[in-house]
Amino acid sequence: MASAKYSQAMHFQARAGEKVRNAMLQRALQKAKPLFVGKRAKGMASLAEDGLDFESLRSVAKNIRDRTLADLDVWLDIFEERANATGAEVLWARDGAEVRELVVDIARRHGVTKAVKSKSMLSEEAHLNEALEAAGIRPVETDLGEYIVQLAGETPSHIIAPAVHKTISEVEALFAKEHGRALETRTSADIPAMAQEARVVLRQHFLSAEMGISGANFLIAETGSAALVTNEGNGRMVTTLPKVHVVITGIEKLVPTLEDFATLMRLLPRSATGQSISNYVSLLTGTKRDGDHDGPEKTIFILVDNGRAKLLGSDYQDMLRCIRCGACMNHCPVYFSLGGHAYGWVYPGPMGSVLTPLYTGIENALDLPHASTGCNQCGAVCPVEIPLPALMHRLREEQNERGLRPWSERLALKTWAWLAGKPVFYRWFARRATRYLNWLADGSGRIRIFGLAPMWTAGRDLPVSSGRTFHELYSARKKN
Amino acid sequence: MRLALYVTCLVDLMRPSVGFAALRLLEATGGEVFVPEGQTCCGQPAWSAGNRPFAADLAKKAIGELEAYDYVVIPSGSCTDQIRNVYPQLLADDPQWGPRARALAARTFELTSFLADVAKTAFVAPDFDGSVTYHDSCKGLRGLGIKRQPRELLLTVRGLSLKEMPDCEECCGFGGAFSVKFGDISTKIVDRKCDSIAAAGANAVVGGDLGCLINIEGRLRRRGDETTRVLHIAEVLAGGADS
Repeated sequence: MASAKYSQAMHFQARAGEKVRNAMLQRALQKAKPLFVGKRAKGMASLAEDGLDFESLRSVAKNIRDRTLADLDVWLDIFEERANATGAEVLWARDGAEVRELVVDIARRHGVTKAVKSKSMLSEEAHLNEALEAAGIRPVETDLGEYIVQLAGETPSHIIAPAVHKTISEVEALFAKEHGRALETRTSADIPAMAQEARVVLRQHFLSAEMGISGANFLIAETGSAALVTNEGNGRMVTTLPKVHVVITGIEKLVPTLEDFATLMRLLPRSATGQSISNYVSLLTGTKRDGDHDGPEKTIFILVDNGRAKLLGSDYQDMLRCIRCGACMNHCPVYFSLGGHAYGWVYPGPMGSVLTPLYTGIENALDLPHASTGCNQCGAVCPVEIPLPALMHRLREEQNERGLRPWSERLALKTWAWLAGKPVFYRWFARRATRYLNWLADGSGRIRIFGLAPMWTAGRDLPVSSGRTFHELYSARKKN
Repeated sequence: MRLALYVTCLVDLMRPSVGFAALRLLEATGGEVFVPEGQTCCGQPAWSAGNRPFAADLAKKAIGELEAYDYVVIPSGSCTDQIRNVYPQLLADDPQWGPRARALAARTFELTSFLADVAKTAFVAPDFDGSVTYHDSCKGLRGLGIKRQPRELLLTVRGLSLKEMPDCEECCGFGGAFSVKFGDISTKIVDRKCDSIAAAGANAVVGGDLGCLINIEGRLRRRGDETTRVLHIAEVLAGGADS
């Protein structure tokens, strides 16, 4: 299991409070949301051009993922055998600590002083950058968003748009400082120029790094390949220029065949960015062969458990279908009120509210499964039909079963359930309650400060009725 | 046709006029309408909190009270979702209650889907002078597939014009206990809903779930909007919104 040491998930409530009041963050989020939602909708609509539709395609995708997970051990064996046959090495890591040890060890053996990185949420799970720095190896993030986040000394706030919480002016301030130039006024028209500026800096790193570290969107068992889905081109540099390429990814990323991969690829870019296909799709197989112009001399896969294996066969196995598209957070009203950092660990949004407690301990992320309105906007767009609200609900049940809910909540629920089970008492109580609310409203029809639910009236009035319950009025009417 | 009206605990406590409006609408279908005596709450708060035993107790209580009727009709997508979708899974392993839960689920309908799809009686709604915008509540929309029915019914109302708001399918941020536990997040979400409502520029916002409506009305008023009316669809269809 992942170490809870790095998780801030227990402070969700307090961090959420800060985030809703952060005007700069709110501006960035409000700008991003319609883009994500609109692009995905358009992307899915384009499936019709190929005679496909989202609902039937996602049930095929779900089946591919379920079929793989049902025999995951077998597919992993096949992957290892095929990858070895291509000249790649396959290593296994039980948790983040083992990932750190393995990568640092590989780096030392190959005399690595700088590692360029692309697209690996698992290296975030493992807190790899800290370990590399401690070992005297400089990690350089090369996805533009990750690069920005690294300059800021932060962590990604979104799995495919790591710097979505930042405004242009914040990025400009970072670039001016890091790239040693004067601060300028920037608008969205300057984004290409700013990206170009980063490219120039990153190019030097690509050419000088001895090691490339990437994740993988999928592992393909039949060919022993890693599939990488990117838009910036840096992924190709990271995986082909340095002499050593290390792929770090979770054991659940496997798919049996290239055909399965092709099916999932109809959904992944559309779900993430609305593209029918991303700018780059790389299938990385083995090492540089005779006659190849480029490619790593050494390719090493580190396949990581970090809490995944124990989900197999559990109530939460559905979560392992996840293909990390980000659609759940892009459609989440809670995510877009807070951004990703409030969630406290690597994965934000609905998928994070399920994964964080499962990977870092249910008792270490008590708020997250409750941080949902149950709207199911996430489940409705998930390309592999993960019932995210149902999984959050199961986590809530487990908190109850393990006695992890606060006593005040348990007492309130117990009292209420007892009352609701006894109509006579319930009616009496409801009559008192409605009169009390009416008295508080003092003829105005609304309560502005309500001591029993202060969080409600902090931002809203509480509209109340005339002080009589329906059942009271109804029985009076029947008597007449 | 024996119809049971399940008014919901929220309507009972916060807005009885919705219950009476639903009652008039059901009576207009020609069915014999009952308000089963012992009804309290469907148990959704316990279920949402993750307390299965309490939720199961209240589910059994509701099944006992409601299963004798041909149809159970509820002016709420949320409570209907609880009976139709949650009860059968909650009691799935119980050899006695499982089948009863499934039987009740099949005969339980949200008000607008009952009126539009089951009863199909042409009723004459009182005139409504003005424009409305419809908020699709989450459990009704994504849990029960209710989208067309309320709009069909609203368009039969003379004098009423429908102005769709942007993002009408977006959550309003209520979420039951969520709105109390995470009041500041909930407020942020409902603020966006209020912006959408303002963008529609209608005289009233209408919905099928009182929870959402209380949340929306509470925020609209706090923002200083004293004019946009917030109405349950039953109140619009049956009149009585002003009582």
